[in-house]
Amino acid sequence: MSAKHTHITDVVVVGAGLAAERSAIEAASAGLNVIILSLVPPRRSHSTAAQGGMQASLGNAAMAKGDNPQIHFEDTVKGSDWGCDQEVAKMFTETVPIMIRQLDYWGVPWNRVVAGKKKLPSGLEVEDTKDKEGLITARDFGGVAKWRCCYTSDGTGHTVQFVVDTVVCKMGITVHDRMEAISLIHDGETCLGVVARCLRTGDLNVYLAKSTVIATGGAGRLYAASTNAVINEGTGGAIALNTGLVPLGNMEAVQFHPTGMPPVWILMTEGARGDGGYLLDKNLHRFMPDYEPKKKELASRDVVSRRMIQHIRAGYGVESKYAPQHLWLDIRHLGRKWVWTNLREIATIAMNFNGLDPAKDLVPVLPTQHYTMGGIRTNKHGFAYGLKGLFAIGEAACWDLHGFNRLGGNSLAETVTAGYLVGIQLAKYTLGATQKFDYKLVEGFVKKEEERIKNLISGKNGKENVWEIRAAAQNAMMDHVHIFRTGKSLQEGVAKLQELYKRSLKIGLRSSGQGANPELAQALRMPGMIRTSLCIAYGALMRTESRGSHFREDFPKRDDVNWLKRTLAYWKEGADLPTLDYEPVACPYMPPGDRGYGEATAPAKGK
Amino acid sequence: MELAKNLQKTLNQKANPKTDLYVDLAESVTGIILVGFLWMHMLFVGTIYINNGVLFNSLSEGLDKYYLAQIGIPATVLVILIHIFMAGRRAPMRLRDLRIAWRLTKSLKHTDTWIWVGQVITALIIGIMASMHLWEIMTTWPIEATKSAHRVALDGIAFMGGFSIKYYLWFYVALLLAGEYHAGFGLYRIFVKWGWFERHKMGYVLKGITLIILFIGFGALYMFIRLAEMVPLGGALH
Amino acid sequence: MSRNITLSIFRYNPNIPGDTPRMQDYKLEEYSGMTLFVALNEIREKQDPTLMFDFVCRAAICGSCAMLINGRPGLACKTLTKNLPSRFTLMPLPVFKLIGDLSVDTGTWFRNLQVRTESWIHTNKKFDPNALEVRMSNETAEAIYEPERCIECGCCVATCITANIREDFIGATGINRVSRFLIDPRDERTDREYFEVVGNEDGAFGCVGLMACDDYCPMEVPLQKQLALVRRKMAAAGLKLDLKGMKIS
Ligand SMILES: Cc1cc2nc3c(=O)[nH]c(=O)nc-3n(C[C@H](O)[C@H](O)[C@H](O)COP(=O)(O)OP(=O)(O)OC[C@H]3O[C@@H](n4cnc5c(N)ncnc54)[C@H](O)[C@@H]3O)c2cc1C
Ligand code: HEM
Ligand code: SF4
Ligand code: SF4
Ligand code: FES
Repeated sequence: MSAKHTHITDVVVVGAGLAAERSAIEAASAGLNVIILSLVPPRRSHSTAAQGGMQASLGNAAMAKGDNPQIHFEDTVKGSDWGCDQEVAKMFTETVPIMIRQLDYWGVPWNRVVAGKKKLPSGLEVEDTKDKEGLITARDFGGVAKWRCCYTSDGTGHTVQFVVDTVVCKMGITVHDRMEAISLIHDGETCLGVVARCLRTGDLNVYLAKSTVIATGGAGRLYAASTNAVINEGTGGAIALNTGLVPLGNMEAVQFHPTGMPPVWILMTEGARGDGGYLLDKNLHRFMPDYEPKKKELASRDVVSRRMIQHIRAGYGVESKYAPQHLWLDIRHLGRKWVWTNLREIATIAMNFNGLDPAKDLVPVLPTQHYTMGGIRTNKHGFAYGLKGLFAIGEAACWDLHGFNRLGGNSLAETVTAGYLVGIQLAKYTLGATQKFDYKLVEGFVKKEEERIKNLISGKNGKENVWEIRAAAQNAMMDHVHIFRTGKSLQEGVAKLQELYKRSLKIGLRSSGQGANPELAQALRMPGMIRTSLCIAYGALMRTESRGSHFREDFPKRDDVNWLKRTLAYWKEGADLPTLDYEPVACPYMPPGDRGYGEATAPAKGK
Repeated sequence: MELAKNLQKTLNQKANPKTDLYVDLAESVTGIILVGFLWMHMLFVGTIYINNGVLFNSLSEGLDKYYLAQIGIPATVLVILIHIFMAGRRAPMRLRDLRIAWRLTKSLKHTDTWIWVGQVITALIIGIMASMHLWEIMTTWPIEATKSAHRVALDGIAFMGGFSIKYYLWFYVALLLAGEYHAGFGLYRIFVKWGWFERHKMGYVLKGITLIILFIGFGALYMFIRLAEMVPLGGALH
Repeated sequence: MSRNITLSIFRYNPNIPGDTPRMQDYKLEEYSGMTLFVALNEIREKQDPTLMFDFVCRAAICGSCAMLINGRPGLACKTLTKNLPSRFTLMPLPVFKLIGDLSVDTGTWFRNLQVRTESWIHTNKKFDPNALEVRMSNETAEAIYEPERCIECGCCVATCITANIREDFIGATGINRVSRFLIDPRDERTDREYFEVVGNEDGAFGCVGLMACDDYCPMEVPLQKQLALVRRKMAAAGLKLDLKGMKIS
């Protein structure tokens, strides 16, 4: 076979989501040649699925008065349970208002302030003043002191991704969609580019670049039930991990969103609770105020999710055809007009998939895997650890804005802000770098992928079924590495995954593997996916404390003495477990303290 | 490929960038004029109800006297020709296009698309039958109630020998249906395209109008038949 | 309650030499809440690993999975099998280039569309990072959001006879896309510039008004309204303007 095409460029960006495109714009603005690779056309990236909004302290809405980057910073650090990089959080919170305005300049139709008195569903009366009319407004979200979530109805990710993509179109940046990066090319020091497989034809392509950016999004599909798109399999992190040189940071920090809708596990946005929605149990009792008297439904996601499971464990779960045990989301009191304009996307989803009209029906919900806080560990400028010329941004990265729990609305905001900030650094680096050509080396990497493909097709290593292994691995994550974790269960999970990992090396195709064969695509990803799962499970096993979304029932307290540090997981060649290393988490601006919500503040009541 | 296509386009540059606009407007405007004409025409024919056709005859005389017919008929023919030219270009012409359109229409089972197929078919029907109709009228000028009545009710017998099939009656029924269908839905689509009304509500209004016109048309045909039975050819009315 | 269903699926992979187009039947046991997303994945995982189709969000928001479902276009991910007869067909969308089986290349088509219609905000203003955003009424923002909701699934293009027989027609989605900029006060394009883009047979004046697009748009984008809006604006602009020496697209 050998590579069909070789493309040489200054920057290759793996991914075409918001983070990827925003960084590509920055690099192209500096006069660099950029090629974007993506599994799917840019406008189908998972960023378009984000509904709720984007956090930025504009302070325009009535309930946002007095907001500023400092308060946003504090909310972010508390949300992260002091796990985040505070310098990154500072940079981020100071830059994000500019990003929102730039998106507005590019064309995002942000909802605006309408002056006048309003009565909120909570009964509170507020007034939006004339002087703010027409400026970008905001809604409430979990874990924040001020309303700062800027939105366009509940299609924020959609509009932002579409608008950023218009800029990519306008600048004429090259996009190769249906092109999957399957390995990084490197010489042990510097990253030279990627080997990619074309999902139209099945051909292998080589991309050689001075800089390689990984912005491949989340890894939700390592779990059987996730709100993520089906393409979110964490392949970007996996190919970095495979180098043996680049570590994944804090992979055990996995966010579970309180309101995934069974049985399809599609997200009901946090905006639903932000706008005043309640959570009800089987007695139709609104239980969150019992646990979290201050923040109620709007404590941070990790806390609300745990409270929900805790309440279900106490015997208050609903049994229905949607799921064996779940709770209800109630937004009926917001009124038909509100539901079908400001929450239209989720109303449509409830209607399409469960035939429910949230303006008059309760919607079943259950905490569901939602976000990957961990990822390719980078410094604060986005340079990946371990290899020169490699960058990572967005959900695929551990830039470490989110620590152990991401605030709702901070992730879309991160994608564009990191895209911009890292983009500048990336451009600077690339302008000073020289292209390395080492055809022997490149040929070696291509050969390796060809070998893998040949062996999968011929079944030389074995005849294991890729779909069975995937399902088993996803279920192991559900059973052992979920919201509530214990040493014993994690240990079992790790053992199961190790077993599956060995089997994944013996996969053989049942089909011919010709052309853009989907079975081959899955088989190529499978070992990397399980390695990533092992980083999560093993990292969780070793972290003997509870922090943010990582909750150990056998170690329920946060332990700042021993665990104010970040996990770095490496995968050494031939290993069947990651090698863990740790680095300290500095708290230069805000020393560890009380979050103001969660178990530490309001001990479990249960009723 | 791309280059050749662009070159084609450059060579093909229309003298006036507004051509497409004019063509589109012409299609709609001629459509509206023809609908207006058809409905007026049916109202005129409908006067046969009144006074056993006296008004009908005087209208026809009026048309003649003030040269309205002499100008009106060629003008209408011209409008029809323009209309055929403008609207016809939208219809699938090549065999390949016809096949695609037909397969898609069958697959979609979409009402409005079927209606459009109907419109293309009725256009063909009208094209043929209206010219025959016009020819007949022109060669037997002037228009008179009894003449029309006999054509509708009795000529068929003359043509067909002993059979009492009302040849012209069926001819008119077909033309009436085709014309009304084509005009009614044509108007509907003009409104839809220019967005003057909400689509689904407007559908009802137009269907209503079409029914009324059909009612007038059939009524008129019925009156012709009765008239033909009452009054011999060339005989006086009253 | 459960019934057996038969999916008759179009199969053809142009990249495999010697492959020919055909319909292939797959039988499945239906269960409650089964969508075509679930059904097709089950077929791929248990019966035929070569079957090609596209899903991304599986929540009817990304536009990847449009296909002809029993002859009509729709998003497979939100189609419940219980609303279909026990035997039904699945075909790829027409107009777009076939990648294989049910997978078509909407990405390239839409990319070309964006570039052709210059679908981005045109402005001479420079972005000032220190300035407040330009004020806009919430109503205007919501009006822009309406057409912006298009997810580029291609259903409207595939159902449109005009788009099927005229390769250069930009389809309802294209005209809708332009309408989004037309009503956006931030876009400084003149009527003349818009006329260059859509004031022709490939754009606003190419539409015959069949409204299949309007009826089958899964996002319920108000296509009739947006198509008519562009047509009216372009007609008014065209009649008013002196368009001498204009670029012709
Ligand atoms: C349902 C849902 C709702 C959300 N709502 C919100 C919200 O309201 N507010 C908020 O702030 N956040 C929200 N989030 C989180 C947020 O949407 C994501 O974290 C963010 O969009 C990730 O952006 P990204 O650019 O990093 O990656 P993505 O947008 O996921 O893009 C990843 C890109 O990488 C490409 N790719 C992946 N692997 C490869 C490969 N191997 N080769 C080539 N290309 C590859 C993909 O094709 C894609 O283009 C939500 C998430 C979900 C799941
Ligand atoms: C009494 C005579 C006629 C009337 C009242 C009439 C009216 C109309 C109207 C209102 C339309 C819609 C126009 C538009 O969409 O802009 C239309 C469309 C059309 N007409 Fe006619 N028409 C008549 C005769 C004819 C004839 C004789 C032909 C051709 C042989 C014809 C061919 C067509 C075609 C092909 C269309 C469809 C074009 C399209 O879909 O855009 N019509 N007609
Ligand atoms: S209304 Fe216009 S765009 Fe829509 S299907 Fe018909 S011709 Fe195509
Ligand atoms: S307008 Fe509707 S049907 Fe057309 S591409 Fe957009 S979402 Fe799909
Ligand atoms: S998979 Fe995204 S719309 Fe169907």
